[in-house]
Amino acid sequence: MNDQWTDRLSEYVDGELAAGERSALETHLATCADCRATLGELRGVVARAKSLEDRAPKADLWSGVAERIGAGKVVAIRSRRFSFSMPQLIAASIALVLLSGGGAWLALKPQPTQVVVTPRPDPGFVPINVSTRRTDVAIADLQEVFERNKSKLDTSTVRVVQQAFTTIDRAIADARTALQADPSNAYLNLHLADTMRRKLELLRRVNAIATAQS
Amino acid sequence: MSDQVVEDTLPADSIAADAALAASGDASAFERLYRTHSARIHSLVRRMLDADEADDLTQDVFVRAWQKLGTFRGESAFGTWLHRLAVNVVLARRKTLGVERGRFQTGDDPLGGVSGRRETPEMSMDFEQALAQLPDGARQVFVLHDVEGYRHEEIARMLGVVPGTSKSQLHHARMALRRYLNR
Repeated sequence: MNDQWTDRLSEYVDGELAAGERSALETHLATCADCRATLGELRGVVARAKSLEDRAPKADLWSGVAERIGAGKVVAIRSRRFSFSMPQLIAASIALVLLSGGGAWLALKPQPTQVVVTPRPDPGFVPINVSTRRTDVAIADLQEVFERNKSKLDTSTVRVVQQAFTTIDRAIADARTALQADPSNAYLNLHLADTMRRKLELLRRVNAIATAQS
Repeated sequence: MSDQVVEDTLPADSIAADAALAASGDASAFERLYRTHSARIHSLVRRMLDADEADDLTQDVFVRAWQKLGTFRGESAFGTWLHRLAVNVVLARRKTLGVERGRFQTGDDPLGGVSGRRETPEMSMDFEQALAQLPDGARQVFVLHDVEGYRHEEIARMLGVVPGTSKSQLHHARMALRRYLNR
């Protein structure tokens, strides 16, 4: 079976025929059982394609990806993360931010000599220049979720978390103020990105814990 | 708290947060993105290329994504961005391999070597096997249009053909698969 309309049936299925052609094809379909049967089969193929389910790879490919992006050390750290308690996590976040803040203070401290030392990132880490706008949006979104979730946490935890946020926010504000004076300072840019990342991570974990407790 | 509990309870915007974290160099966040999206990317790659290429190319896609995260502006969902990147990686790979065999074949029965319809739980797998037997041009267009939902104009741009070619390849693929479903 193959008539002048057979090759137009896919376009008909997809609604891509002009009104005149569509009308002519429908007239033809009324009298051509072969074309009606083919049309039904084509619709079956389209439906089958849409119902295909994704399948994960049989092997875990992450280790190969991690090796190629140099993430081995980070992955090892990640495997221990969930053994931390909430108070430990918050305390660690505050300590890390304060330590980073101390590093920023050292970087900003006036030097007694004319020797200029350019801070260099870890050679294993390739900094990616990202706008903080997206991070700001992500933080704002997660902060909203936290505001909705905090009733699920006990008040002492909420108090400690909010104190941590205050400390982190101060560190972010300090870094931004310093960057206004020295926008190209690599250390300050990394410090700001790292501090914002810590806030995102803390928000994400607090929200996950609150959700798990509900 | 297990990783699975975290994945199940995270709000939808956690993907955006993980994308931002990964862009700042956090490989743990990137691993979470990998866990969320690897099945979809691997399936796309497997359907557009040979199955034995799928593992390597899926890894290539995620390595490329890591390298290009700085260009992700958050204007679309991360999954959409990653998917488009995967399509580009697949098409580039095909070009590298010189996969032009039978690109515009219109033989009577391109699925002649595929066994007939089986009403079994493995039926969707059989459909994928039939898909893999299509000539390359028809297969690409069918996967991009009917499975992935791209429009002919987008497909034409990606493949460097005119929309009419995309439409005719799609029809050819459907007709071949229709015959397979009828056996």
